[in-house]
Amino acid sequence: MAAQPKPLPVEGPHYLEGGGILGWLTTVDHKRVAVLYGVTALLLMLVGGTEAMLIRTQLMRPDNHVLTAAWYNQIFTMHGTTMIFLVIMPLETGFFANFLIPLQIGARDVAFPRINALSYWLFLAGAVFMHLGLVTHVLNLGTVPSGLPNAGWFGYANLTESQYSPGLNIDFWDIGLLILGVSSVLAALNFFVTIVNMRAPGMTFMRMPMFMWAILVTTILILLAFPALTVGLIFLFLDRFFGTHFYRVTAGATPILWQHLFWIFGHPEVYIMALPAFGMISEILPVFSRKPLFGYPMMAYSLVLIAFLSYGVWGHHMFATGMGPIADATFAITSMLIAIPTGIKVFSWIATVWGGRLRFTTAMLFALAFIIEFTIGGLSGIMHASAPIDLQQTDSYFVVAHFHYVLGGGVLFAILGAFYYWCPKISGRMLDETLGKWQFWLLVIGFNLTFFPMHWLGTWGMPRRIYTYAPGMGWSTLNFVETIGAYIQAVSFIVFFANILLTLRRGEKAAADPWDGRTLEWSVASPPPAYNFAVLPEGGSRDDFWVQKYGTLAGAHGGGSSAAGATAAAHAAAEAAEHIHMPAPSLYPLLFALGVFLMGVGALAWLRIVILGGMVVALSIIAMAFEYPAHGEEAAESEPVFYRGVDNRKAGMWAFLGSECVFFTALISTYMVYKSRNLAGPDAQILNIPLTSFSTFILLMSSLLMVLALAAFRRGDDKWGRIWLLGTAGFGCIFLGGQVYEFTDFYLQGLYMQTNIFGQTFYTLVGTHGFHVFIGVCWLVTLAIAGFLGKIDSKRSLAVEIAGLYWHFVDVVWIVIFTLVYLMRTVKHA
Amino acid sequence: MRVLLRRLMGVAVGGALAGCAGQHHPMNTLVTKSNLASWIYSLFVQVTFWDLLVLAIVVAALALAIFWFSTRVGDPTEPAAFQSDTRLELAWIIGPALILLAITVPTVRTIIRTQPNRWPKNALTVKVIAHRWWWEFSYPQYHIQTADELHLPVNREIHFELTSADIIHSFWVPALGGKRDVIPGQVNQITLIANTPGEYYGQCAEFCGLSHANMRFRVFVQTQDGFKKWMDHQLKPPVNPGSGPAAAGAAIYKNAPCAICHQIRGVSGFSKQYTYGFRGPDLTHFGSRTTIAAGILDNNPKNLARWIANPPEVKPGARMPALGVRGKELDELVAYLESLK
Repeated sequence: MAAQPKPLPVEGPHYLEGGGILGWLTTVDHKRVAVLYGVTALLLMLVGGTEAMLIRTQLMRPDNHVLTAAWYNQIFTMHGTTMIFLVIMPLETGFFANFLIPLQIGARDVAFPRINALSYWLFLAGAVFMHLGLVTHVLNLGTVPSGLPNAGWFGYANLTESQYSPGLNIDFWDIGLLILGVSSVLAALNFFVTIVNMRAPGMTFMRMPMFMWAILVTTILILLAFPALTVGLIFLFLDRFFGTHFYRVTAGATPILWQHLFWIFGHPEVYIMALPAFGMISEILPVFSRKPLFGYPMMAYSLVLIAFLSYGVWGHHMFATGMGPIADATFAITSMLIAIPTGIKVFSWIATVWGGRLRFTTAMLFALAFIIEFTIGGLSGIMHASAPIDLQQTDSYFVVAHFHYVLGGGVLFAILGAFYYWCPKISGRMLDETLGKWQFWLLVIGFNLTFFPMHWLGTWGMPRRIYTYAPGMGWSTLNFVETIGAYIQAVSFIVFFANILLTLRRGEKAAADPWDGRTLEWSVASPPPAYNFAVLPEGGSRDDFWVQKYGTLAGAHGGGSSAAGATAAAHAAAEAAEHIHMPAPSLYPLLFALGVFLMGVGALAWLRIVILGGMVVALSIIAMAFEYPAHGEEAAESEPVFYRGVDNRKAGMWAFLGSECVFFTALISTYMVYKSRNLAGPDAQILNIPLTSFSTFILLMSSLLMVLALAAFRRGDDKWGRIWLLGTAGFGCIFLGGQVYEFTDFYLQGLYMQTNIFGQTFYTLVGTHGFHVFIGVCWLVTLAIAGFLGKIDSKRSLAVEIAGLYWHFVDVVWIVIFTLVYLMRTVKHA
Repeated sequence: MRVLLRRLMGVAVGGALAGCAGQHHPMNTLVTKSNLASWIYSLFVQVTFWDLLVLAIVVAALALAIFWFSTRVGDPTEPAAFQSDTRLELAWIIGPALILLAITVPTVRTIIRTQPNRWPKNALTVKVIAHRWWWEFSYPQYHIQTADELHLPVNREIHFELTSADIIHSFWVPALGGKRDVIPGQVNQITLIANTPGEYYGQCAEFCGLSHANMRFRVFVQTQDGFKKWMDHQLKPPVNPGSGPAAAGAAIYKNAPCAICHQIRGVSGFSKQYTYGFRGPDLTHFGSRTTIAAGILDNNPKNLARWIANPPEVKPGARMPALGVRGKELDELVAYLESLK
């Protein structure tokens, strides 16, 4: 092996040391937050895995009675929900990406450390909330029956309506997913801004590690996909709590609306899970093949292409709903197109291995197995893309085999490979390779024994989600074999967890660069110091650390820094490290999440708790705002941060507004679809066009005042800045007043949320916009007060600019709503 | 040439799917008994062929890369930084694209073939209404209805109209073709020609709550004559119980709450007092059916007594409550229902 000059890591406390329990509860260090995510998700993996074992035990024999129908339905629902939302997503994004983004791009932390902590605590709140039904069921609390969610992980309406699912089960699912959605979007926004804005000076997009590309694209997917789910869940919430009819057939609505909203989220969600796995594989294969990743540009573009296409394929989940031949053909073709970028990835991975000098570590074995297992899942996916075939296979065990090959043999194998690969960096200790190989082979055997026969069960007509089946269907033998396979998988995971526990106790200490790595995270100590890099790296080439070590992408010659140079650099680094200022810990993210949790509990139990929770949330926000100098400004002034052009907060606002676009698009589309399905009662003819034209004019003028305010602050004219700000807020209030008048007027004319589907969609859409205006008014007033206190000057005009972005966005949305809802109100009666 | 290619595909895929022969699989999607199922099957064979081909290429390429064109730790030669090759990359874009084209063309053709623009006019119409958790079948052209057992004539075009009384279900008879969701407030359609007489199994394929697993049904494809005979029998009024236990049972039926949800033509009609969702199976010719409780039990007096005594125990969540009919009364009621051949 060629000489391996190892840069000397800076000696000093690493990120895991010190702080005590309070330190963990208040941490904003991305590495600690990542570890919190990781530990929580691993525990939930135990829960989801136990659920899988119960499912397989029940199905082992025909007419089995291990579980009742009611328990089986809860357990398969929670198995899917847990594995997707509480295990795979948090492990990939919350754990690995969170830990690695700053380390791979050469930064000290993520863009918004407190939001990072908030994402975690919200995730925990959502995960706990989702399981509360078990507690209320066991303790027999409340007057309404309850239990775990029981309508499947995609909870199709109208089964989820209170008429058909009267228990609290679905409410725990609905509110739990809403909380998890907020957590995911916040995390995605944070990571998006971090990757776009905080890369090392020399690290252009085309020099980023492929894992960073995968995470960047994933965050965009999360930002643009989750709002559709949120809208669907809000409709469900309104239906269940306020008696609206978003999914009720009797009012003219259709339960298919849920399927569209869910799968517009749901198919990108598949790639939200798959792309980080692609990224992990693209990191592991080059290192253990001692070769750079093959076809880097195509690998990056294919990620983007997959993400783009993933928004146009949701219909392939709905072929059986009878969308008609045109829609079927369209979705079949778009779905098949995804095979092309996926093919590029598979063949490029093989080309990466080709001609390499291979080291068969456990991580490498998982990565190699991933290629085959994922390909099998991808190829059965092509069958599902072919609409007529899908009609035989969908909702059968064939589709169960398909998505377990994609998410288990694909994504989970990648995650396990990532554990063996990055554990040394994260924990400072090496996972045991012997146990690792036992785990790998047990899992390969157990996994394929469980899921490959499901292809046959599917073609032999076994529907999914049945808690039992009759003997004589020809399904018994394979089901028995599959259960044996599942138990082998269980043993494999026992080995895995034992390996982790043993490693943490007395694993071999890891060097900074145990695998001869290629990317920047291997240039710092294992585990890294709290500040990551004593001296921020340049990141001037692809596989930057490898080039530092060897001089070229191929590892032919030892090059890079000499030992003496490295020592000198280490001394300089130690000196620099003393002056690094890291963000201070904060308790408010935890309090915020606690408040949200209380609001959820209150919604199901006692309304007063909602108010209490709301107050906790509001106080946390205010308190966080007062922490501001300690977290943002001071740090920004004390060290050079090479933001790429735009401020992090502004970039964050842009990302948020992108997400909002999808949110409003979903609301507006629902209105447009439903307005012509209205059966009885008032419809769009009720709208008062002259009044609304006036308030529209006022709102547009407020945007003008907003521009004037910003211009005034920028040129240092604080007085006029404050006046224009208050003017903007005032015009916003006039608009809101108009809306209050309008709503009251309609209310008196007998149009309520519950009256008909025009009423519910109108109030939901226009009301949600009004709420946005209200938030904007509060924001502007706060800024104006800050202005009076002398806190805003030309240097800090950015705060006004960001509020302005939001305000203009809300105005633009109103122009769309005014046009589509008011001006084009003519109802075409079918 | 194309026929030859099809044959080749058939042999390759048939070999891969070997193992399904010899065993009894009443829901097998590969044993096709209608034009619709055959079209889907032929597409399935083509796609499976291409899938297996691609899988073989990927496995072979990866195996070569691992076992042949690579070195191991300890080998002193440093691997070349082989990073890109335009021709190679173009090859694995164009190759898969061509295969996808070969899949897409027959896919789109099958979509258009299986969902005709105009639904047939002279077909036998079958209305399917899904309920939690049983199936209502009616033949509007003949004004009869039945439950959980569907009789169809062979070689005649059949047009299904599917809708649901409550939530979304999915109608699936693998031998006759792919599934179609049964959605409230919407009428979905399937058209097909069954080509072989026989008894086929069907089952709800969309999760619909507690007893989703117990929402099964049977399809009897009969010769034209056999179907006509069955239809003529169904059109007859219910059997007169005469005297004995069946007559006593008839009296119990009329007094018990059965008639709120069930219909026996000429004896009790579907109540208008309750909504659609409160409907239970039509019992006019109940005794002529082979199964009860949506295909989960054989139709015999013992099973029927067990069912009537406590339906939710047999089928979790069943909407028919335990009516408290016991002992001799139960036997008489069973005798009456079974007499309704």
